[in-house]
Amino acid sequence: MAMEPPEPSRAGDGAPRLLACAAAAGRRVGNRLQDAIDDLLRADDARLDDRQRAAVTTTFHALVAIVEGDLREHGAKLLAGRGDVDGAAGLADAGKSVSPRLWRAGLARDPAFMHELIARARLDLLTEVLPGAADPDPDRASLLPRLAEHADRVVADAAMAALVADNRRRAGDPGARTDLPGELHHMLVWWVAAALRGQAGGDGDVAGLDRALTEAAQRNLVVHDEGARPEAAAMRLARALDARGAALPELLIEALADRRAALFAAVLAHALAVPFEAARELMLDRGGERLWLACRALDLPRDAIARIGVMLAEADPRRDLERFADQLDMVAAISVETARAALAPLWLRPDYRAALDALGGER
Amino acid sequence: MSDVALPPVRGTVDGEGRLITAEPRLAELNARAGGAVGGALAIPQLATLARLARRLGVLISRAVTVADGEDDIELWVRAEPEDGGARLTLTGWRYRAGRQPEVGEGAAYATTSGDWTWETDAALRITHLSPALAVRAGREPDTLLGKSVTQLFDLTQDADGGFPLLAAVAEQRGFADQRAGVRGSNAPYLLDAEPRVDAAGRFAGFTGSARIADEPGELEATPTPARPDLTAAFGVQIDRALRTPLGKIVANADSIHAQADGPLKGEYAEYASDIATAGRHLMGLVDDLVDLQFVEREGFTAAAEDIDLADIARRASGLLAVRAEGRQVRIDRPAAADTLPATGEFRRALQIMVNLVANAVRYSPDGGMVWIRLERDGPIAAVIVADQGKGIATEDQGRIFEKFERVDPSEPGGSGLGLYIARKLARAMGGDIVVDSAPGQGARFVLTLPAR
Repeated sequence: MAMEPPEPSRAGDGAPRLLACAAAAGRRVGNRLQDAIDDLLRADDARLDDRQRAAVTTTFHALVAIVEGDLREHGAKLLAGRGDVDGAAGLADAGKSVSPRLWRAGLARDPAFMHELIARARLDLLTEVLPGAADPDPDRASLLPRLAEHADRVVADAAMAALVADNRRRAGDPGARTDLPGELHHMLVWWVAAALRGQAGGDGDVAGLDRALTEAAQRNLVVHDEGARPEAAAMRLARALDARGAALPELLIEALADRRAALFAAVLAHALAVPFEAARELMLDRGGERLWLACRALDLPRDAIARIGVMLAEADPRRDLERFADQLDMVAAISVETARAALAPLWLRPDYRAALDALGGER
Repeated sequence: MSDVALPPVRGTVDGEGRLITAEPRLAELNARAGGAVGGALAIPQLATLARLARRLGVLISRAVTVADGEDDIELWVRAEPEDGGARLTLTGWRYRAGRQPEVGEGAAYATTSGDWTWETDAALRITHLSPALAVRAGREPDTLLGKSVTQLFDLTQDADGGFPLLAAVAEQRGFADQRAGVRGSNAPYLLDAEPRVDAAGRFAGFTGSARIADEPGELEATPTPARPDLTAAFGVQIDRALRTPLGKIVANADSIHAQADGPLKGEYAEYASDIATAGRHLMGLVDDLVDLQFVEREGFTAAAEDIDLADIARRASGLLAVRAEGRQVRIDRPAAADTLPATGEFRRALQIMVNLVANAVRYSPDGGMVWIRLERDGPIAAVIVADQGKGIATEDQGRIFEKFERVDPSEPGGSGLGLYIARKLARAMGGDIVVDSAPGQGARFVLTLPAR
């Protein structure tokens, strides 16, 4: 069968496009190969599992959506109030989310932002899978409901705030809070505002749009209450309880038994006098060595460390319970002073610690 | 859900991992796994827990599934360190008779269909609720969280004068269709919940849902079979209502047969063995009835997964190896390297294969042979299970796939539902089961599924 020659005009249009596509595909192959090599060489404990990846991306897009919805709504109101009806309609049209753009543009590579997102997703997932331990007395209320009725109003109020904050986080409340620490929320709001401006293109009253987005962003920043985050509520409760001596291991164990992972991290943070984020990191480290040192720095007895180790290992099959059993006697024999000395970098100023890390861990 | 009614079974393990003392059910289970009291604990899952408890010096609790011949037993195990060894406490003892639990079976209480969710601890204090549910009650979440569930829901008695929620607490199980009002709202609601169970098998509270009972018939106590969720719940109710007492009958009969509480006249011990066998047969029937309800449900479908029929045939043969060995029947199963890619639901395909191979073993003469062969014919993947039994007459070959029909009605055992369910499942996966046999020449059952 004779082949028809290609139409000259189509060949003329198509060839450069084909060559450009081929060149782009070639670059992508190179990039993908690099990604595959990076992934292969990544240590297993640094790799997120599928559930964690899904949780992190879902959280990312949800946080962007919360801020985006707010800026669109209030920005559009401001524009409409100033008579820019077209601009208002354009901004209010939520047809295309800016989230994929922010993901690609580098927000998903911002270390501070992603560190918080990943740690938060991992802690939330840990809370879901903790096996828990019911009180032997079935009529006794669980930890937070019981503390919410504490005779000390400070404890009771803090426990209720923790219950409410946990409930809101779990419900994925469209009541629209990012629950991010202040600086990160700040950064997210401006990224979203910039992406919205980029989406609008150069048409219309750009200066008016800038002003409306700026005002909407500032309004959002003013009402952001980082104290309402579950992490902050847990810290307030930990401070109110101020568990010491024998009460400390009891509270740590009961927090895990009641599947309140954030409260465990908060109680640990308060006892160690470190930020919540530092204690959360100790808790999420699957190897666990630094957490066991922290437990010893707080003079926790062997029995308490064993119970904490068992509950964490039962929640996460990637934690090695046999290895923990091998280490336990050695851990229990470490003195408080030795443990504190080994963990000394924990108490350095975070900026100083980051600088030391950047210089190659010379500390 | 664990069978809380069965008494716990205890045993002790010494520092060397030897089973030192064991109450009868544990001793028997250990013996069937090839161990003996005084020797090393032969049930690997229990041995691991005993060793961990001893090394860590703390209580370890875990749900485990252990093999008992061709059955699986689900157990809650507590291992506590004691005198350099460990003390074991086993509760639950739920036989699964080689049957895998339905995915989401417990969720037949329609929790997924609920409009709002709520959760309590064991003391029925609210630990989580949808903010929208608080809004329905005209309350802020902080006025309800931590409070008793009865501050949110005004429970209504059912037609028998009972409260499903409270009965479920007493029996530590799930419940469906608890009628309730939400305080502060006029609408009638229906509550469903599943129990949450902690690491030691203890009741830790409910995870539930609430939905408005807006259909006029929905508040009637008598369920209408046309509603699929009620039918599903009915299947679960049968499962639960029959399995618990049967489990008790079997366990107690086994204990009597083992003469655990002292010597008995031989014939009484034999009666007890007959009772246990009959009880196990009835539990198999419960499985079949639950499956029957499942396959006859309107809109019933099976998942389309990438499966390997050769692997499934090997697994089915493995599951039935003990039963076949008891009859000196040899199963000629596909070689480890064989593959036969097909599309179907793994769990369901395995269930069909177990049924076909079990039938072949059952009808084989002692010392006989069961062949499993794989074939691929264009778009069709086929597994053939052939036996040396007495075969099936042509006129009976359609009948055996009917409900409550048997390959050989004079043979003991079987509910007459297995092939009916198997064929329904195969057809739901886009395949079929056919039989090819003649009296005196054995039977060949062919399972076909779409090839991949």
